[in-house]
Amino acid sequence: MSDYHLISAPPLALYDQSFEGVSLIAPADFAVVSIALPLGGEAAALKAIKSAFGKALPDVGKSVLSKSVRLVRMSLDQGFVIFSHATPDAESFVAKKLKDAAYTTDQTDVWTGLILSGPKARTVLERICPIDLHGQAFAVNDTARTTMEHLGTLIIRTGDDEFLLMSASSSAHSFLHAIEISIRNIA
Amino acid sequence: MIINHPLLGPRDAAEFVYLGDACLIDRPDWQAEDAAGKFHEYGYLRDNPAGLHQELWYHEQGDRSWLVVTRDTLTHAISKVELARDVARARGRGS
Amino acid sequence: MTQANRLKGGQIDRDTTLNFTFNGRNMQGHPGDTLASALLANGQRLVGRSFKYHRPRGILTAGSEEPNALVQLRTGAHLEPNTRATMAELYDGLTATSQNHRGSLEFDLMAVADLLSPFLSAGFYYKTFMWPKSFWEKVYEPAIRKSAGLGSLSMLEDPDIYDKGFLHCDLLIIGAGPAGLSAALTAGRAGARVILADEDFATGGRLNAETMDVDGMAGADWAAQVVAELNTMDNVHLMTRTTVYGAYDHGIYGALERCTDHLATSGGKPRQILWRIYSRRAVLAAGATERPIAFGNNDRPGIMLAGAVRTYVNRFGVTPGHELAVFTNNDDGWRSAADLAAKGVSVKAIIDTRDAPAVMDVPGARHIRNAAVVNTVGRKGLRSITLTDDQVIDVDCLAVSGGWSPNLHLTCHQRGRPVWDEGLCAFVPGRDLPPGMAVAGAANGAMTLATALSEGRDMANAQIKELGFKASRKAAPKAEDEPQECAAFWHVRQSKSRAWLDLQNDVTVKDVKQSYREGFRSVEHLKRYTTLGMATDQGKTANIPALAIMAECTGKSIPETGTTIFRPPYTPIPLGALGGRARGKDFRPTRLTPSHEWAKNNGATFVEVGNWLRAQWFARPGEQGWRDSVDREVVMTRRSVGICDVTTLGKIDIQGRDAAEFLNKVYANAFGKLAVGKVRYGLMLREDGICYDDGTAARLSDNHFVMTTTTANAVLVFRRLEFARQCLWPDMDVHLISTTDGWAQFAVAGPNARNLLRKIVDANHDISNEAFPFMACGEISVCGGTPARLFRISFSGELAYEVAVPARYGNAMMGVLMQAGKEFDAVPYGTEALGVMRIEKGHAAGNELNGQTTALNLGLGGMVSKKKDSIGSILSERPEMNREDAIRLVGFQPVNKADKLTAGAHFINRGDAANMANDQGWMTSVAYSPNLGHSIGLGFIKQGHTRKGEIVRAVSPIHGTEVEVEIVPAHFIDPEGERLRV
Repeated sequence: MSDYHLISAPPLALYDQSFEGVSLIAPADFAVVSIALPLGGEAAALKAIKSAFGKALPDVGKSVLSKSVRLVRMSLDQGFVIFSHATPDAESFVAKKLKDAAYTTDQTDVWTGLILSGPKARTVLERICPIDLHGQAFAVNDTARTTMEHLGTLIIRTGDDEFLLMSASSSAHSFLHAIEISIRNIA
Repeated sequence: MIINHPLLGPRDAAEFVYLGDACLIDRPDWQAEDAAGKFHEYGYLRDNPAGLHQELWYHEQGDRSWLVVTRDTLTHAISKVELARDVARARGRGS
Repeated sequence: MTQANRLKGGQIDRDTTLNFTFNGRNMQGHPGDTLASALLANGQRLVGRSFKYHRPRGILTAGSEEPNALVQLRTGAHLEPNTRATMAELYDGLTATSQNHRGSLEFDLMAVADLLSPFLSAGFYYKTFMWPKSFWEKVYEPAIRKSAGLGSLSMLEDPDIYDKGFLHCDLLIIGAGPAGLSAALTAGRAGARVILADEDFATGGRLNAETMDVDGMAGADWAAQVVAELNTMDNVHLMTRTTVYGAYDHGIYGALERCTDHLATSGGKPRQILWRIYSRRAVLAAGATERPIAFGNNDRPGIMLAGAVRTYVNRFGVTPGHELAVFTNNDDGWRSAADLAAKGVSVKAIIDTRDAPAVMDVPGARHIRNAAVVNTVGRKGLRSITLTDDQVIDVDCLAVSGGWSPNLHLTCHQRGRPVWDEGLCAFVPGRDLPPGMAVAGAANGAMTLATALSEGRDMANAQIKELGFKASRKAAPKAEDEPQECAAFWHVRQSKSRAWLDLQNDVTVKDVKQSYREGFRSVEHLKRYTTLGMATDQGKTANIPALAIMAECTGKSIPETGTTIFRPPYTPIPLGALGGRARGKDFRPTRLTPSHEWAKNNGATFVEVGNWLRAQWFARPGEQGWRDSVDREVVMTRRSVGICDVTTLGKIDIQGRDAAEFLNKVYANAFGKLAVGKVRYGLMLREDGICYDDGTAARLSDNHFVMTTTTANAVLVFRRLEFARQCLWPDMDVHLISTTDGWAQFAVAGPNARNLLRKIVDANHDISNEAFPFMACGEISVCGGTPARLFRISFSGELAYEVAVPARYGNAMMGVLMQAGKEFDAVPYGTEALGVMRIEKGHAAGNELNGQTTALNLGLGGMVSKKKDSIGSILSERPEMNREDAIRLVGFQPVNKADKLTAGAHFINRGDAANMANDQGWMTSVAYSPNLGHSIGLGFIKQGHTRKGEIVRAVSPIHGTEVEVEIVPAHFIDPEGERLRV
């Protein structure tokens, strides 16, 4: 046993606020692992992903939910696995499932996640998000990587009125501020 | 401007970073005879067309892909957008 | 004053009275009024003074084209100058004041400028204030600025908030007049996503200002019915008070929404929102602007555009005068006259420039044909007009119509050229419209109501059809084609007094003629020489008459003379709106290091490093200044152990079968044979052979490296690596992902570094010097199982490690390191101490890797491998970059140890004059070394590696310093590197 102990403190831990028409929550135990598909080994990697999670890695710009694990296709050769996992071993958890068929990198601490939901969620995002979030243009499970208030952001539509927003953890407070200001600014 | 990304569809140019002429893909062979001259040309000499121009854009706030965009420098009309990796392979940069 | 000029009717809510003040006088109006209509209702004709001559001016128009009636609204920090009274919506408690006068509006002391007008003609400033040259900045310009100009700023911070946003649609319709409403109805019913935007707070456009029927009902009622239907459609977004001000590439439009300008307070919400609208197609239905006719003293309060008078009478229930005359060259002037008469306003005469019969019956009005107004009387308000036959008519309002010009401004925003339509006497949109745009209604030269309605429908149908929607077969709403004949007539030649064209910049017919005489004959020259059309209204009412006069002078036709095209914005956009919310702290995001909280609680002073906030030093009680803290941090680190958060360095996870080969390509030095568990310093070149960045790469497994970059270049290096991976070597199996934010990384440096780490590294990891030597790396765990990475690298020159834990543990880790380090007197150190130690050690950083220097210059020439292909290796061999006398990085110390060195100083040999010809190099970095007890520096000097011991002068004319310095090796501390390896 060590004499010392490290306490986990993600930047927006326990954030949970309700506003008129929207609520904003930082999900607990938010884990992200990236998967890179080896050149020439894409088919094997995709197969491994499917057998590990029960769903195929979707096309670029799409995500799929398999039980509580969300698979997001970030680019042709990269995907994210987003799931709930408390301990700092999310990467080995995914790597084991994939049995070396793909390269994995822990992204949990790289990102901060916020769930924006409610009937006014889209109106809030209109102020900072250049992506067309109309239901016809951005359906449930659609994803886009873009920029909001100068911050790189991954947006995933997780429901008709619900979006998961992910941005860099170092600027988490600026990102939260940008969303809170948008909430304040809508009529 | 809008760049119609071959995988993601139309995206605001603000998500992209511009590099320059797509001839930057054609990096010379370091062992070629006159490699110094060829690298000099590669590094410094560019056409400056009034009209169609193939150029490199990087989707930094997106999927991180490099694109070859064919743009009319007179009108900004974009007639073609390709993944730079495909272009590079087509130009013989693959293994 | 009661509202003496109110008529019956109009779209105002008479049940509610709004109080406002103008120049301190209490006045009343009603909801639905603009400030302009309310001022007119209260008989206030004089509202401002002109820009240059301080001429008394009134209200010319009823819309956004207003050049004259610019006022200041609100008070204190909320004060906004140069607001068009015709666009300001009245609210209870509004405070308005006139601008650009000294003394009262009625007795402006600067009105003497008008008497000097013979001297103030076009080009006056260019010609007059040439000499002496030195007078321009100190005397002439301040004096001119004071006497000319418009309103003044509050000089206080703008207390309002602004925002920006993004909207998307299939079809953007600009203008909610008859054409726009017809288009919106068509596209909306077809299911297209429509945005319908209008700058006005009321929809309907001309339908509100006129008395024509649509589909058998009053036009305004039809508009209201359409709006009601549009409001039921989820796919239609109706935006009033929203000006679409610019047409940008690929269907992007800029729009300004004025959210709370019509309210007494903004209630904590954004005052205005700048929207970026992404449209697939657009219909411009912006209507048309009436033109004035130039004649003597045509700028007096009370002389207005006929359509504006009609608007005030019909829409606002206000008459601008009690005895009016109409001066027209077209049929529409007659329609205005008829509307006024129908409202019981006395129209004494219709003066038509044409020798033609009456267009319609206007009760009570004399028809004076083939005539014109040559002059007017009434300095602060019109009293009478004089016609070409010398007859004088007493009137207090003259309604002028010189025909209508399509509002085609947005068609020009991508260099589209309008074309001249002889029949309309106006420019109409050319064929080179911005891609995706169609134009409908008056904006397209379809001047009658019936054609506007049908064109709106047709254009919308054509646009949505291209998008795959089914076009509507429903007929366009029905209306009559009103008379609209027009005969070109631009100015009254018989006028001897000044005849104004550009009322906002005070440009007259005479100025245009003078411009012609002096050779400024192209439209672009005319504009710049006279400033015509260069005011905030962009000459909406002035440009075409001026062009026509220039055409007359040159004897060419108007299209031959040319036209100016328009740039965004269509109407002025406040800077506050362009800034949006990006003010103060919100100008850009802030990145915090994982140990930020700990640092904040432990006396850190922070410094901005890009977007990052880093601890610069940690002051302790009793320390007198930053140097005390920094010196202590350096000394204590070198004596025992110090800890620094170095998370900001870029980290890139690189994996793949070809990862090692990839590093060989992007680093100048070799990486292929780096053993697993080892770190190597890497130098990156640009393809031109100049140094780009440096860092380390650690090999965690055969196919897995972690690269570090400098803080500043983290994003740029990643971009370059992706370029190399995708564009240069597309068939390498290599994958990149940034992990900069993922790992909290701490430098633990000093002789006790290992002793400290031993206390927190879990016992199963051997970090002894033998098991974990200099440049070792590994995946370990700390504090009882928390995964971590350990790198034995040193920037300070001491025995040092960098230890990384998942960022969520970073703040706790800092505390734990300090706690474990207590027995060693561990200190946290900031970026200043980091800098001092790296200079003491002679490590290059941003000041040395400045985009001009080569590996040879840095003394790292041997690192550039010639045995492999890497970016920059070929061009780094260029002879010019490898000259014998190339600059080299060396150390410098003052000969007189008490002297302070200055970064940026240039080296001059003893005895040489301090000039560029004798320049030997420059000092890049300096610091006070608490270990050596004097100032030290790094710098580049020609052939520095061969000049150790030589004394040169470090001269900085900017700082006024000159210090004798000795050239020494760059390693001031532990030159053999023994401390690193113990």
